[in-house]
Amino acid sequence: MSPSLANRLTIGFAIAFAVLTGLAVVGVARFLQQRQDFEDATARSYQVEIAARNRLANGAQPEAAREAILAQQRARQGLRDDIDGETRDTALLVGAGLIAGLTGAALLFSGLIASMRRPLEELVEASGRLAGGDLETRVKVGGLSETATLGNAFNEMAGELQRRAGERDQLEAMKDEFVLTASHELRSPLTSVQGFAELLMLERDKLTPQQADTVEIILDNTRHLVRLLNDLLDLARSDAGRLTIKPAATDVAALVEDAVRTMRSQTEAAGQALRQEIEPGLPQVSVDRDRIRQVLVNLLTNAHEYSPEGASIEVKVVRRGTEVEMTVNDDGPGMAEDQLEHIFERFTRGDAGLTQHVGGTGLGLAISKSLVELHGGTIEAASTPGQGSTFRVQLPAASAQ
Amino acid sequence: MTRVLIADDSETILLLLRTRLEMEGYEVITAADGVEVLEVMHREPSPGPDILLLDAMMPRKSGIDALRQLRAEGVETPALIVSAHQDEMDAGAPTDNEVSGYITKPIDFDRLFASIAALTAPA
Repeated sequence: MSPSLANRLTIGFAIAFAVLTGLAVVGVARFLQQRQDFEDATARSYQVEIAARNRLANGAQPEAAREAILAQQRARQGLRDDIDGETRDTALLVGAGLIAGLTGAALLFSGLIASMRRPLEELVEASGRLAGGDLETRVKVGGLSETATLGNAFNEMAGELQRRAGERDQLEAMKDEFVLTASHELRSPLTSVQGFAELLMLERDKLTPQQADTVEIILDNTRHLVRLLNDLLDLARSDAGRLTIKPAATDVAALVEDAVRTMRSQTEAAGQALRQEIEPGLPQVSVDRDRIRQVLVNLLTNAHEYSPEGASIEVKVVRRGTEVEMTVNDDGPGMAEDQLEHIFERFTRGDAGLTQHVGGTGLGLAISKSLVELHGGTIEAASTPGQGSTFRVQLPAASAQ
Repeated sequence: MTRVLIADDSETILLLLRTRLEMEGYEVITAADGVEVLEVMHREPSPGPDILLLDAMMPRKSGIDALRQLRAEGVETPALIVSAHQDEMDAGAPTDNEVSGYITKPIDFDRLFASIAALTAPA
């Protein structure tokens, strides 16, 4: 059991007071007694001297009387010297007691402060580590009972935090595992559904128009499910810290041209103009080609799906210092400020505004952001309602990495 | 005629692959798992199938394990691995000189036919 701060203070002060008071009382009492003795002796000496002076006045034995008067005067001088010495000694004694008491109190305090300071400093350091995420951090319990109680409470709190974090990690891992397994298990039946629907479409001319439309709907929805599955898988990987990229020196121009080519048939079907403007002589970027292509296709798909027929979509690639900047710009309905704020969050979609069907999963931009950030780049959106949207991706050039 | 050995533990997927490949003019041999793949390869007189199309995960023996064993036996037939997603590959991580390419599910048949054509083109 550690002594408490209050106990130590009380005991310390009690001892200091007892010592001080004792010294003062003993010293002063002794001094007063000596003073009394001195006054009594002085008074007696005067009486003896007065008697001697009377004898001298009567003329009896004048030599002896004179001698007695001188003797009394010398004796009183001696008494005065003695009492002066006693006064000095007493003052010294009381002074020394006072100094000793104060020194003791000072030592006691500095000892107390020292015994609190170490544990408190340790608590401050440990709190910093805990706040920084080191949940295994603990403090050494000791010192005064107050600091010991504080230390124990801190350790219990850290233990509880660690336990909960462990539970949460376990749940997260189970969720990730579930998504990965579900994604795998769903893929085989989806492969069959999509594959056989495609097979039917290969013989479209043998189907009635209604049957062909039906198969088309099956295919559309299957592709949507596959996209959703891929996106969920990417997010689960991202959450589990398993979304990885395999960067290699890449020619941005070819990558952008490839993504634009992929989108061409869809934008043409909607009568949308899809233009690309690529600055010549761009530096290479160190990226995972498939992943950055995925980001671009996602941005282009959004521009295509959220813009009306006949809209124009533009992809621009320029060099900005040590970065390569890609922008996808459309003249579609745009977004309001409050929408723009949440656009990179999961399952957030812009108001289509128009009545058209939007086929996205609501996950594309969240995944794009994760992917761009994995590359050490940035992605941002700007928009004015009624005046279209601009998405800007900046990636470090290969030489800068 | 180009001969393709396909392996998948799902009969439906085998039927789908066989139908599409035969429509493209390929001759198809099927196997239900890696063990059957090895049986077919050991039984077939040389030079055997022109290309292997193996599912990554199958009971008894996976496509990756079967391929690894064939490569150890000196079989150099080009092989495509079909996988549900890339995560499956991370565990087994076959090397590039073992595998000629990957096909992910759901299967993009245009890509699949292009890969097969490129890998079986006469040198």
